[in-house]
Amino acid sequence: MSSTRTLSMRDALYEAPGPRTRRRVRIGTAISAVVVLLAIAAVVRQFWVTGQLAPRYWSFFLQWTTWRFLGQGLLGTVAVALTAGAIALVLGLLLMLGRTSGVRPLAALCRVVTDFFRGVPSLLLIYFFFFVPAQLGLKLPAFWMLTLPVALAASGVLAEVFRAGVNAVPRGQVEAALSIGLNRGKTMRKIVLPQAVRYVIPSLIAQLVVVVKDTTVAYVVSYPDLMQNARVLITSYDALVSLYLVIAVIYILINYAINKASVYVANKTGVRIVR
Amino acid sequence: MSQEHAGEKNVPVIELRHVDKHYGDLHVLRDVSLSVARGEVVVIIGPSGSGKSTLCRTINRLETIDSGEILIEGEPLPQEGRELARMRSELGMVFQQFNLFAHMSVLDNVTLGPREVLGQQKEEAERYALELLGRVGVAEQAHKVPAQLSGGQQQRAAIARSLAMRPKAMLFDEPTSALDPEMINEVLDVMVELARGGMTMIVVTHEMGFARRVADRVVFMADGQIVEEGVPDAFFDHPKSQRARDFLDSIKGH
Repeated sequence: MSSTRTLSMRDALYEAPGPRTRRRVRIGTAISAVVVLLAIAAVVRQFWVTGQLAPRYWSFFLQWTTWRFLGQGLLGTVAVALTAGAIALVLGLLLMLGRTSGVRPLAALCRVVTDFFRGVPSLLLIYFFFFVPAQLGLKLPAFWMLTLPVALAASGVLAEVFRAGVNAVPRGQVEAALSIGLNRGKTMRKIVLPQAVRYVIPSLIAQLVVVVKDTTVAYVVSYPDLMQNARVLITSYDALVSLYLVIAVIYILINYAINKASVYVANKTGVRIVR
Repeated sequence: MSQEHAGEKNVPVIELRHVDKHYGDLHVLRDVSLSVARGEVVVIIGPSGSGKSTLCRTINRLETIDSGEILIEGEPLPQEGRELARMRSELGMVFQQFNLFAHMSVLDNVTLGPREVLGQQKEEAERYALELLGRVGVAEQAHKVPAQLSGGQQQRAAIARSLAMRPKAMLFDEPTSALDPEMINEVLDVMVELARGGMTMIVVTHEMGFARRVADRVVFMADGQIVEEGVPDAFFDHPKSQRARDFLDSIKGH
């Protein structure tokens, strides 16, 4: 297992291709390239036919105010995603610790809470934070009406991710810790959690992608995130397709960067515990 | 050291009285009684599934027992909490799979217990740790992580980790069974040194040469029972029970 870092999933699952397979792969690659090019051509043609390529749908991208406005939205998205991600990490960890604590009522409670947040769509949680505090006379800022539900939804998933990590730590590590006289708490803190977190870093960061995507329902609470600001521009320029295309690309770039970061972090930390 | 105080000489360091344990329908320990005196080296042998590993693990409560008693220096083995943790810290345990903490350097593996459990300062713990790592011959590896060490080096580091707690006795649960043949002796040599130094030891092993050379007493287990025990030469040359004769016949030859 010591070469796990360089061993890709494809290498692990399939044998090395022989000459006939290599030829088949080349033919397949050529065919799919042609198909992709044709599809792109068809899309561009359809845009042309329906007039979506007309200058009035694209010219406002030349004004820097457009980008400033979208940039402000991007900052809003990043602020919510990072805050929600941080809250979800802490809450997810606490839920997992509660669930694995061995204290029956606490474990049951944490389990119910985890499953609830994992099971309920985040949009529903957002509606909850939009309506319920207001009815109780509580005035939550839009930022928190968005951040809290997104964080809660993610915390349920992260609790399960952490639990999977803890379960992946070999039993012998715990036994060795107990055998030198560490108590349960220190065994968890010093031995189990540090290893569990290293195991699940890629999953944790992947979950951040979900958090970023969850923030796009900000319009429900009128929070100015990237999506909400794009909607404002769509209304004022009457340009739906071009704007959605551009912000789709921005979201893809954000999440691509997050994924790249996860691979980087996993390589940096993962190698230390390869057995 | 404090455990050398006069007057306690006659109390066994480890004593099991009529210990029974089941795994479901499987009766893994049947009325096992065993007493280990200070400085004694007891080697437990027997076919796989005979309960010898389980026996070893019950002594620091990594396995619970159904009935019977386990006494450490005359005191009942605590069931839980701080008392159990303290008792475990006084019994070294060496595992078949080494179980070095995978995310820490070898040095940190050895100093963790002294610092977290015994409350030693970093410098003090590291000084003793390096001395121990030197004694088991892996001082060069102190700053590597376990995955960078060979199996034999890992097991010797694991022994150092246990010794750092200055234990009253050491439990070895098949310490060489996961090792490549050429690494077995380097681990056994460390164990021989320990035994010569007067350490009280219980060793579960398949290494008959080690048992003959080092053991004060050999305990033969089969089907969860202690079938026979005696001094090594008597046991290996003239086993009394048919089970022991069959077992010894099955492993010799070649």
